[in-house]
Amino acid sequence: MAATFFGEVVKAPCRAGTEDEEEEEEGRRETPEDREVRQQLARKREVRLLRRQTKTSLEVSLLEKYPCSKFIIAIGNNAVAFLSSFVMNSGVWEEVGCAKLWNEWCRTADTTHLSSTEAFCGFYHLKSNPSVFGSCPRKNMQITILTCRHVTDYKTLESTGSLPSPFLKALKTQNFKDPACCPLLEQPNIVHDLPAAVLSYCQVWKIPAILYLCYTDVMKLDLMTVEAFKPILSTRSLKGLVKNIPQSTEILKKLMTTNEIQSNIYT
Amino acid sequence: MASRYDRAITVFSPDGHLFQVEYAQEAVKKGSTAVGIRGTNIVVLGVEKKSVAKLQDERTVRKICALDDHVCMAFAGLTADARVVINRARVECQSHKLTVEDPVTVEYITRFIATLKQKYTQSNGRRPFGISALIVGFDDDGIPRLYQTDPSGTYHAWKANAIGRSAKTVREFLEKNYTEDAIASDNEAIKLAIKALLEVVQSGGKNIELAIIRRNQPLKVTLWEAEADGSREVRSSKLT
Repeated sequence: MAATFFGEVVKAPCRAGTEDEEEEEEGRRETPEDREVRQQLARKREVRLLRRQTKTSLEVSLLEKYPCSKFIIAIGNNAVAFLSSFVMNSGVWEEVGCAKLWNEWCRTADTTHLSSTEAFCGFYHLKSNPSVFGSCPRKNMQITILTCRHVTDYKTLESTGSLPSPFLKALKTQNFKDPACCPLLEQPNIVHDLPAAVLSYCQVWKIPAILYLCYTDVMKLDLMTVEAFKPILSTRSLKGLVKNIPQSTEILKKLMTTNEIQSNIYT
Repeated sequence: MASRYDRAITVFSPDGHLFQVEYAQEAVKKGSTAVGIRGTNIVVLGVEKKSVAKLQDERTVRKICALDDHVCMAFAGLTADARVVINRARVECQSHKLTVEDPVTVEYITRFIATLKQKYTQSNGRRPFGISALIVGFDDDGIPRLYQTDPSGTYHAWKANAIGRSAKTVREFLEKNYTEDAIASDNEAIKLAIKALLEVVQSGGKNIELAIIRRNQPLKVTLWEAEADGSREVRSSKLT
């Protein structure tokens, strides 16, 4: 790749010719040491589900102890802020475990002593109604997924300047019969990453699931974006879980101020 | 299609877009909100004062800057780009005063800034300025002015406008609430600016900075702590 005088990036022709055959062969041969390093790395990168206090493996006990009817997943800091200030603020939620993982981009090298704040994902269940939560596919289970995406990813004939951002779009599996509280996601827009994986899994296993996708200008923690999720509180999935909306709004404001990381690049 | 035509500023896409300019407008949205109101006898600029890091000198973090004694500007977007534009504008203000012995009109300096921004959308090897600006002031004829510029180099006069994060929400609020009654008195105009900012501030109204220019009076910058129902002044400070 090379940059031209005008700033375009173009593919530069390679004058090195074809690579030496001998070098290629050496590269392909894997020594026992390479294999050992690769296996160690794979072990380090395993995802572990742990119980809260004992740090023992959670998976088996989850299947037995926590059958559920509603599973809510929040992906991304705005969706998590919405869930923690509106839903988890009402009622007593108990942390039952967390998922920990490590990969080369993690800042800490120590994989055995990750604190709970560094957990990749936390699992909580509602103490007063233990049927809300679970991790395994069961009959009568309904899954709600909340996530955010930048508004420039939204493909539309209108210009992005005229869109009422932030706005909510929904995508549901075939078995989800309830109406969504917002318009459905139109073609040619597609969903990416973890929300797409969860939704595909639910579609294949015929689990009713709905994804609420918030298109926003601001990907970091933002009051307007979190409040854009509010219409979901009136749906059947979350009805009854939220008691005190004004109090939740106050908690959300506090979350904003504690999490404010100011960058000097933009003012 | 966008990816083949969005790397060089001097290249139009087949459907007539200058993608770098449009991307610069996205950079503006990363800055915090600024609102400008043109009253009958007053012009007001309001911004949410950013919370600074513990060891950082608060005085050096400025979103509202004076270009001359009678003109001031608030920006949203890349801080460094704003510094360059403000310096050029300030030099131009003094140069104009020395050459024609009259202070600049608000429209003149806005046109200067907009022309500067447009030049950078048509030069090879450069990128557009990633800032939008709200420029306010009084001309010699005593008429209040409010102008807005954007990265493409356009400028327009407004009665009230907002730039930066969630600007659309603030603009919709202003469209509903900007009436002749709302700007009848100076205090009403100031209240309107604060209320508009309260729609979108993250800090819950604790840090709103206002720049006020009244007819025939010098620029005044004050810090406000506002609640949803009313507002009270916290402290006043002159802009250096």
